[in-house]
Amino acid sequence: MDFDFNYLLAQWPALLDGVQMTLQVSVLAIGCSLLVGVLGGAARVMKVPVLAQVVALYVELIRNTPILVQLFFIFYGLPAIGMGLSLFWSGVLCLSLWAGAYQIENVRGGLATVEQGMREASVALSLKPAHYFCLVALPIAFRTSLPAMLNTAISLLKNSSYLQAIGLAELTFVAVDRIATDFRAIEMFSAICVIYLALVGILALLTGRLSARLQRPFQH
Amino acid sequence: MNFLIENWAFVCKGLWMTLRLALVVLLFTTLISIVLGVLATLKNRLLQWTIHGYVELFRSIPLIVNVFFIFFGAPMLGLDLSPFVAVTTGLTLWGSANGIEIVRGGLESVARHQWKSAWALGLRPWQIYLYVIAPQSMRAILPAYTGLLTMLVQATSLGALVGVGEFLKVGQIIIERDTVMTGVSPAFTVYGLVLLVYFVICSLLSWLSRYLERRLGRPVTRATPEEVSTCKHPKSAGA
Repeated sequence: MDFDFNYLLAQWPALLDGVQMTLQVSVLAIGCSLLVGVLGGAARVMKVPVLAQVVALYVELIRNTPILVQLFFIFYGLPAIGMGLSLFWSGVLCLSLWAGAYQIENVRGGLATVEQGMREASVALSLKPAHYFCLVALPIAFRTSLPAMLNTAISLLKNSSYLQAIGLAELTFVAVDRIATDFRAIEMFSAICVIYLALVGILALLTGRLSARLQRPFQH
Repeated sequence: MNFLIENWAFVCKGLWMTLRLALVVLLFTTLISIVLGVLATLKNRLLQWTIHGYVELFRSIPLIVNVFFIFFGAPMLGLDLSPFVAVTTGLTLWGSANGIEIVRGGLESVARHQWKSAWALGLRPWQIYLYVIAPQSMRAILPAYTGLLTMLVQATSLGALVGVGEFLKVGQIIIERDTVMTGVSPAFTVYGLVLLVYFVICSLLSWLSRYLERRLGRPVTRATPEEVSTCKHPKSAGA
């Protein structure tokens, strides 16, 4: 078994295409999942009737089922009842729903640390509940739950590799596709392992920098 | 619903395979986690760094890449692994990376003075681990470990991608068969049911995890001076 670097160099453009697709799906889904997280977290903390229970059920449902089955349900199951989405958007939807459930828990955890006094002070200042939530509670919660939120984002990036199973041409798909023709499994998988490690590493580094920056005013 | 009744034995076979996958992975994960988790608490830089590298590596690589690497890569190295072995190996590497952290964290959560007291009483290191540290670390380890078990059960669905006939694969086969025979795809119903079954299994495990957390998380009650002076039996510990 010889490790063929030249082969990897030749396949580099294809791998880059895969990385691009992985990043596209992940970035879109991270954005959507954060939105889901903030809205869902707000519904749960504000104890909006019915909606809070629906959100709780949604979180339990996502957290207690395999993401692969969720993906198949969205991509193969929904078209059967006439709600089919394209390959790309099925992937984005699946990842957003999956990560959204975790982000809701992260946001909720962050909001739980906001002291009751803040709310009372806001009432005294005659802030509306919506203003209190957006201008006071959310920024404070955001700082506490940021590490957890970015961890979920990292997991989302890793889980984008599941989209290989429905045939979206992201990084893992490219690798498996090439292996089927060239039988260079060790080279390909080593390469994508390094790429995933690099992507996760970069995201983790940004996480560290960002949370350090946000903690700065509070360090004495 | 007809296809469910027709395929009842097939469905049970799939569930049995999922259970087998989960149990085998759980067994090896637990063994590796305990051994490496304990080794990681020893004061040996080289050992710590090696284990840390192992943990970070397998937690950073997507699980599916990990499993595929073993499944597609092993034949290139002259190893002929069955899909079952490939999946269990991949899941064990990933599961143990998480398990090691749980065991290490649990062991380190035990207060330092417990070590020092045990040392002062003349216990040998293995005795300290076995009789003093291990029982106390369980309150931190068990809830987290049950959570890991939930993730392991979910991860066994990866078997469907490399051809292990577990629960999800059975669902896929039923869909294909039914689509060919009737011309209508029952994908929505079948995948819905598959989701539901996983949901029931994993919810039970999640509930167990939360129960253990509540139950073991209670502060240990000690005998108050009054109880001692009136010679009442001290309340038993929360666990």
